[in-house]
Amino acid sequence: MKAAYNFGMKLIDGELGKSYIVESIDGGCMAKDRLWKLGVIPGVIVKIKRKAPLKGPFMLEVNGVDVVVGRGIALKINIRELE
Amino acid sequence: MKTVALVGQPNCGKSTLFNQLAGYKSLSANFPGATVEYTKGQTYLDDEIIEVIDLPGTYSLSWYDDAERETVKALFSEDIDVIVNILDASTLVRSIELTIELMSLEKPLVVALNMMDEALRKGIYINVNKLENVLGVKVVPIIAKKGKGIKDLLEAIKNAKKPLKRCVYSREVEKYINAVVNCIEKNNLKNEWPVKLMAIKAIEGFEACQKPLENSVCKKVLEQAKFALRDGLVIVQERHALCMDIFEAVAKVKKKEKKSFEEKLDTVLLHPFFGYIAMIAIFFSIFYIVFHGGVPIENFIIGIFDKIDHFIDISLSNYKLTHAIVKGVVDGVGAAFGIAFPYLLPFLFLISLLEDVGYLPRIGFLLDSTMHKMGLHGTSMIPFVSGYGCSVPAIMATRILKSRKEKIISAFLASLVPCSARTTVIMGLVGYFIGYGYAILLYVINIVVIMISGMILKKLLPGISPEMALDIPPYRLPTFKTLMLKTWHKVKDFVFLAVPMLIGGSVVLTLISYYHLDNTINSIFKPFMELLGLPSSIAVVLLFGVLKKELTLLMLYQALGLSSLSQIPQALTPGQMMVFTVFVIFYIPCLATIAAIKKEVGLKATIYITLGTLLLATLLSFLTQVIIHIA
Repeated sequence: MKAAYNFGMKLIDGELGKSYIVESIDGGCMAKDRLWKLGVIPGVIVKIKRKAPLKGPFMLEVNGVDVVVGRGIALKINIRELE
Repeated sequence: MKTVALVGQPNCGKSTLFNQLAGYKSLSANFPGATVEYTKGQTYLDDEIIEVIDLPGTYSLSWYDDAERETVKALFSEDIDVIVNILDASTLVRSIELTIELMSLEKPLVVALNMMDEALRKGIYINVNKLENVLGVKVVPIIAKKGKGIKDLLEAIKNAKKPLKRCVYSREVEKYINAVVNCIEKNNLKNEWPVKLMAIKAIEGFEACQKPLENSVCKKVLEQAKFALRDGLVIVQERHALCMDIFEAVAKVKKKEKKSFEEKLDTVLLHPFFGYIAMIAIFFSIFYIVFHGGVPIENFIIGIFDKIDHFIDISLSNYKLTHAIVKGVVDGVGAAFGIAFPYLLPFLFLISLLEDVGYLPRIGFLLDSTMHKMGLHGTSMIPFVSGYGCSVPAIMATRILKSRKEKIISAFLASLVPCSARTTVIMGLVGYFIGYGYAILLYVINIVVIMISGMILKKLLPGISPEMALDIPPYRLPTFKTLMLKTWHKVKDFVFLAVPMLIGGSVVLTLISYYHLDNTINSIFKPFMELLGLPSSIAVVLLFGVLKKELTLLMLYQALGLSSLSQIPQALTPGQMMVFTVFVIFYIPCLATIAAIKKEVGLKATIYITLGTLLLATLLSFLTQVIIHIA
């Protein structure tokens, strides 16, 4: 069932400055609940605002708020490009 | 007595409100969840005393780290009469999600809508009456920073009622939730959670709610619900949509498209290259201000205590033992004031400023990848930086960290950072007699050792280091009053913790020399000193360094039987100086630091940390000796 929503693109592959639609968050992600609370919910548009160097975290813009997530978490967020 | 709990998401201004309500007994922080311990205070409501509890900030009732768990536990367990939910009006959508969860606790609830001014600046106009009607909870608009609306809030607390409404999902979703609810009730699997919330959280996969159902008769029902509701995602989306609907119904947004000043500031401060330059510049200026500004004040304070010393010498010269003890006490107090006022006060003020302006989470963003390798977050930077001044506030700064594992690692590593007392040994011994290049080398080695130790500790210690997932608050201008309160609070902590230790240490020192116990101690530690290739006469110096590291250098030449510091090369070879300094940098933190560590992480971890540093220091100084011999 999960595979049906996974088009292969992860947040970690996203380009700087571009906006994406969150598709799903992989199961077993400890931060899933936290991400939901921060507004990173499937269907929501997130913009990759910054990437910290040296494999540092990502800064996203979600509903006008800046949210920082570590790369390990970015690896578990499936995204889709905006049409 | 009525008990009122303040609950809100991180950065909603909760601690500021607490300060306004309950008279300056809590700290306010800009970093998410900074108030890790919860604070109590009292205030008057008409003529009745009410207790106010400031709980750590949490995004939701399903916790992510230790601090948030404490909040939720307190909400369940404490006898709380009224919950005050503080909302950040400028991030209303997200804030309401917590409100909806709190409503299901069915306790008297008041919503304090904070930061109305910031919302206005963002172009958000909120109709408070409408929000009140939609939520079915009393809503009081406040600006906590300026103390506006506090009177109305107190009035609302007095008349607080249980929420009129409950969050209702679509019929299909409710059907599955109810199936789980019924099963829980029928089989008496209820825990401290309200049953409906427990069912929802179990479907969403929240460990604490799911576990009681996992091996029970309800397992099947839960699995069905999970399957139908896509592991709770359907509930989350409905709730999110509900919050959006509420927001749209009560607020008008006039978009301001212009790139704000904050955005511009972030482009520099979070830049992949200039961000780091700016960070180094900021910390360098803090050190520069603190250490340059501190010296004259310290000299002034030392001057006063020298006079007192002199007076004691004259007036108590006939009573040797009393003289020794009194002198020990005065020296201890002098040392504490000599650190606290010239260095700590300005340092803590500037750190609080960075915290409240909102710079700390941004450092977290910049340094997260480096720190994560050590099992830490970017925010753990603060204990380290503070450590170069004094280890005690450095250890106290680990309070802003959330998981226990992180705290223990940070406390251990921060105690390895050479504090100003150890700096005098590095500079005064190695720098002065061997060369400043070697002194800098020691600092570099120190950083490398800290990093490696961190990586090892990350692997050794149980528990996971949760990855960073937090919101970056907007830049905010803190009020001078809040900053001073916060600084004062930290200095007070230092004084209460460190002064008794410093006094005790000084008294023990003077007593030992009074009873001439030095030789006994030296002979006990002789084998150990031989292992390191050091003269056994300085065992006593190292032992007393534990009591007070400021005295290490002074005691060193006295213990070696020299008349001044400049004669040290007569008694110690450069190699021995290196070995001695390496040992001093890494071995057991001073007594005051140990007390601070115990306060933050408990006795057991403190013993491990203390023994760990001793082991590390022995190993490294032994290695230094071997390397010097080979080279």
